[in-house]
Amino acid sequence: MLQPRRRATTLVAVLALAALVMAACSSSKKTSTSAGGGKTTYALAYVGPLTGPNASLGINPRNGAQIAIDQANAAGGNITFDLKSFDTQGDPAQAPTVKDKYINDQSILGVVGPTFSGETKAVLPAYEAASLVMISPSATNVALPTVVPGGKSFHRIIPDDDVQGAGVAKYVTTKLAAKNIFYINDNSDYGKGLADGTQKILEAAGTKTSGTDAVDPKSQDFSAAVNKVKAANPKPDVVFYGGYYAEAGRLAKQLTDGGVKSIFMSGDGSLDQGLIDAAGANGAEGAQITCACKLARSTDSGALGAFATAFKAKFSKEPGTYSTEGFDAANMLIAGIKAGNTTRSKLRDYVNGIGTYKGAGKDIAFETNGNVKSGAVFVYAVKSAKLTLVGDATTL
Amino acid sequence: MTHGRAPQQRGALPVPKERAIDFCVNCLRHQFWPSTFDGLTVGAIYALIALGYTLVYGVLRLINFAHSEIFMVGVFASLFTMHGLGAKIGQDPRTGIGLIAFLLAVMLVAMVVSGFTAMAMERIAYRPLRRRGAPRLAALITAIGMSLFLQEVFAARYGRDQLGFPRVMKKSHLFKFQGADIRIDKVVVIVAALVLMIALERFVARSRLGRGIRATAQNAETAQLMGVNVDRVVLLTFLLGGILAGAAGTLYGLFYESAQYNIGFLPGIKAFTAAVLGGIGNVRGALLGGILLGLLENWGSTVLGGQWKDVFAFTVLVLVLMFRPTGLLGESARERA
Repeated sequence: MLQPRRRATTLVAVLALAALVMAACSSSKKTSTSAGGGKTTYALAYVGPLTGPNASLGINPRNGAQIAIDQANAAGGNITFDLKSFDTQGDPAQAPTVKDKYINDQSILGVVGPTFSGETKAVLPAYEAASLVMISPSATNVALPTVVPGGKSFHRIIPDDDVQGAGVAKYVTTKLAAKNIFYINDNSDYGKGLADGTQKILEAAGTKTSGTDAVDPKSQDFSAAVNKVKAANPKPDVVFYGGYYAEAGRLAKQLTDGGVKSIFMSGDGSLDQGLIDAAGANGAEGAQITCACKLARSTDSGALGAFATAFKAKFSKEPGTYSTEGFDAANMLIAGIKAGNTTRSKLRDYVNGIGTYKGAGKDIAFETNGNVKSGAVFVYAVKSAKLTLVGDATTL
Repeated sequence: MTHGRAPQQRGALPVPKERAIDFCVNCLRHQFWPSTFDGLTVGAIYALIALGYTLVYGVLRLINFAHSEIFMVGVFASLFTMHGLGAKIGQDPRTGIGLIAFLLAVMLVAMVVSGFTAMAMERIAYRPLRRRGAPRLAALITAIGMSLFLQEVFAARYGRDQLGFPRVMKKSHLFKFQGADIRIDKVVVIVAALVLMIALERFVARSRLGRGIRATAQNAETAQLMGVNVDRVVLLTFLLGGILAGAAGTLYGLFYESAQYNIGFLPGIKAFTAAVLGGIGNVRGALLGGILLGLLENWGSTVLGGQWKDVFAFTVLVLVLMFRPTGLLGESARERA
């Protein structure tokens, strides 16, 4: 008696599953959805880390892009925009698996991202094959434009590592007039890469290395590093830290408390108000952070301030590192779609011929290989416990 | 952003020689006294926390892994007491009698809060299991559970970012000793920790309640037959460990000025290591182990670089355990605590 009933249940289950699969497939195959009122919806993909250890560096530009989408939708018109987020954890091994999801989703016309260089390199050939245009807010590896020789998909808003390195070297040697540098890193891929790379460039620019050390980012205690800096010979003019803001703040504070008078310097991973929170009122005062990114604050004037205000209204905090770049990247793609470029290849041609785009952060123009023309590397300093823009390191 | 990129080839630039470990014995000669002074400071805090592990292990043969969270509670309790007493970030540091009274008040609150948290933990997580005769492994799992629970409660309530402490005390340099800047806050940490540890040692060795602890540690059943209320002794042991962890929390907050939901993890592991190094179950062993671990860490990172700090400290631990399996002051299993 039980046998037939069980079979019937199985059959129902299989049918239900099949129906689900078909529904899922059909929704993802749709080119564009016609919503009520004759509106057409087009989507952009955001690709980057949304979970995992580097999540905040992916969430910042994603939220920036979200503001661009929201503003485009609020402005009206007969096009609705949608931002679809794809989480790669910033991992080059995961990015290729994730890419199938958005490359097969034909409603997606362009990509904001990928965030990091490794994952970008892993997926670029597939973008090229699918005529999918990408604008990365933050990938900086020098070799990226040559991954697909003569490719048309790759674009980035900030200059590559070589340009950034040269900008930092110029700033340190001429503006800060520093001769001796002490390098500390947090032993992460990013932090060690940044500190070692900066060391190479600055040594080539004629500075001396006073010493090097690494710290454990999980630890609160950096006293061994502080003692090394104090004992270093020649005395360092600059202590350069490769790592993230929380540890950078603690290290800056312990150096200050230890009586070290050298200028504390760090890179994009440290560009966050959290640096000052961790360092206390005076611990990070005078610290200098370089980043090719433009940090937006709601107190800024013009388009940058307007973006930051909108960002703060939605996410109830100030934009983070690379939020402005995510916002500008999304806006460039939105402008293309609004101009009637509603297929992937048309949108790609549009971005390649965009000329000079007036972004919130800076004027953006692309070289034919997708690199950004402006080599601006911004320097920020901690003044009265706030991150303030000093200027462009390459022109200071 | 240069995450996850392959190492770059820059032919034109000189490439520094890559070595996995840089030995710098000269560094230790130049920085011996600064790193010794810092090692003593960190070691004193480790030792205070280690006492909690060792006391509980002594009477229950249980590694209370949630002890690191008792310490974390102490850090938060110190922070909120400072706020409650009107200390704000950016304010001028306090001085003189006012400062001493302020620190004593903060430490007292932290000790009480941590002590009660530890007692509550024993009543909720350990005693019910003991009553039902659960194997010791089960208690170990509840310990890990308590640890995660407390961490997540604090993360949910106060967020996952680190919270800064107000600067309540000027970190001025008192004098120089052989190249080491003797800083006032480090002196306070070392002195306060030593006073507390000696007080505890006296208490366990001399008082009636301390005798109960020692008796239970030697043989719980016999102690019970001799009229010792073992459950009360266990509760007292947790209270003592909690009080010391709370004090350690205040000192840690004073020194590092930050609080975070997972701040207990690393000091907890280190303190546990210190307890094992000194001989777990032995009060003086915890003291010795804590100070020694603090010193080894600092000397190790001076010679080998900060990235080898833990590797060095744990290598020494393994070597010690190879030759003295019960730890430096550990004796045969009979005579613990």
